[in-house]
Amino acid sequence: METLFANLALGFSVAFSFENLTFALLGAFIGTAIGVLPGIGPVATISLLLPITFGMSPTTAIIMLAGIYYGSQYGGSTTAILLNLPGEVSSVVTVIEGYKMARNGRAGAALATAALGSFFAGSVATVVVAASGPLLTSVALSFGPADYFSLMFLGLIISAVLAQGSIVKGIGMVVLGVGLGLVGTDVQTGQQRFTFGVPELSDGVGFVAIAMGMFGIAEIILNLERPESRNVMTNKVGSLYLTREEFRRAVPAVLRGTALGTVLGILPGGGASLSAFGSYMVERKVSKYRHLFGTGAIEGVAGPEAANNAAAQSSFIPLLTLGIPANAVMALMVGALIIQGIQPGPRMVEAQPDLFWGLICSMWVGNLMLVIINLPMIGMWVKLLEVPYRHLYPAIMIFCSIGIYSINNNVFDVYLMVLFGIFGYLCSKLKLEGAPLLIGFVLGPMMEEHLRRAMLLSRGDIMVFIERPISASMLAIAAIALLAMLLPGLRSGKEKAMAEGG
Amino acid sequence: MKINAKDLAAGLVLLAFAVAGLYLNLDHTLGNARRMGPGYMPMLAFGLLFFLSITIMGLALFSGPDKLDRWAWREMFLILAAICVFGLILEKAGMLLTLTVTIAISSLADRTHKPLGVLGLIAFLVALCWLVFIYWLDIRIPVWPTYFAY
Repeated sequence: METLFANLALGFSVAFSFENLTFALLGAFIGTAIGVLPGIGPVATISLLLPITFGMSPTTAIIMLAGIYYGSQYGGSTTAILLNLPGEVSSVVTVIEGYKMARNGRAGAALATAALGSFFAGSVATVVVAASGPLLTSVALSFGPADYFSLMFLGLIISAVLAQGSIVKGIGMVVLGVGLGLVGTDVQTGQQRFTFGVPELSDGVGFVAIAMGMFGIAEIILNLERPESRNVMTNKVGSLYLTREEFRRAVPAVLRGTALGTVLGILPGGGASLSAFGSYMVERKVSKYRHLFGTGAIEGVAGPEAANNAAAQSSFIPLLTLGIPANAVMALMVGALIIQGIQPGPRMVEAQPDLFWGLICSMWVGNLMLVIINLPMIGMWVKLLEVPYRHLYPAIMIFCSIGIYSINNNVFDVYLMVLFGIFGYLCSKLKLEGAPLLIGFVLGPMMEEHLRRAMLLSRGDIMVFIERPISASMLAIAAIALLAMLLPGLRSGKEKAMAEGG
Repeated sequence: MKINAKDLAAGLVLLAFAVAGLYLNLDHTLGNARRMGPGYMPMLAFGLLFFLSITIMGLALFSGPDKLDRWAWREMFLILAAICVFGLILEKAGMLLTLTVTIAISSLADRTHKPLGVLGLIAFLVALCWLVFIYWLDIRIPVWPTYFAY
């Protein structure tokens, strides 16, 4: 307990340094902005800003990037409530009850519920991260290569199972990502693999090029082909204060959403959108006021908004303790850390205590900032919604282009981004998910290394994966997850759930 | 039989990657399970992808109907062309000129743009990029044309 306080004290001293406060605020600000704007999400933004963070200290860089991620969860709800249009994928279900509340003249109350619920959830999840981090880390240190391999395997399977749409296609994209991750120089023999003799590929396919291409450029083309339809409920935000009745109804929903989001956020592939969705389903089943759903029930805003923010925080747990990304944003964080020369994993708590604890404390500070950014300044964000997309996409495009060029000062990366732009567009036309590919890409090289090491230690005996208890249980969970999804009842439940959410 | 054209095409795309990967992997030493060569993991990954893509195509025969979507060729071409032009001329023409051309091309992709609005957008974005990338971040990128410099 004492060490926890000492660690938190260290964390707050890092988080409250002038530089880190400034960049946490900047991250929260940018996050809110892209959260409010439909058509640009945290994955595109973080990959866009990655090059900018190269000059910063690792701690500052991660604090800012994290701010963007959870900031976008706050911003997304604003658009959902005022515009009947989700600003982010994770606020899709907020639209259902939030917009109804706005039409009933309670837009202000809905916004306040979303922001305060998110703040509460963020605070709780931050404590969970702080408490579970060192605990999980000590467990993770006893992991052998075989256990790591199985853990990553489990992560990949779950991220594919939880992804939208067909599971087989999800796993296919994961495996393709693993394959892409193998491009470049083989670490152990120095042999060039799949490089076609191109020197730029000997370090592997650029991570930022994939992320920007598939989530930035492809997204622009997709948005351009859909005609824009926005009708802002401007100037009708109304009072931000909740009535006593609304408050009483929101509290249990927030509590349930927080618990659900914290758990689901840790799961690979879970993350913010799944949690928001799960919370909405739970509220509709267990709330005392479920008969009011569809007419602007405050539970339908409070629960999902708390859940998506809790998940955004708790998805840092696997990254900080095991070095395994739970979703596409965390995959980007791994990329950011590796570029900074830090290998994410269980040794990070000891080797980089200021990064670990500084990030955790800055999350709480950032959440506090976000309440202030979102509630009193709501008018400004409503104004931002009046910027048409035709003025936004050229900005996104040139920021991507300059950003990708500046990483290596090489135009090759620009063309690589174009290629992945085409591929990303193709994928979304064929309903292939990009996020599993990105996770597979990050985990691929790590899996190869652990597989090689495990097999070397076991003298080529595959049974090592079943003989070690940790590894065996990971594989068993993976098998159960796969089998469960093959059961028709569960699968149709998931499909129905996804269909209603989207 | 209800053919799911999207899944069928998706399976074909993945199959193409798997076959290409397996073919290129012929150059790499496989090694054995105990001492894996550079070709071992790619063999596992692309081999698995091969079977997955076949499965996807098999399932696609019954899970439809789901027709292929239309592509926004015009928008796609203009956006990608704009970025390619960016890559082609950046190092010769410098950032300011390159951004002007790139934004102008990309603005054609949205038909609601008006000439004056595009001019304003160019002025704003060029100023913003100069401020962020040159003044604040000081990245190594030519600002002015260097074509006549030698």
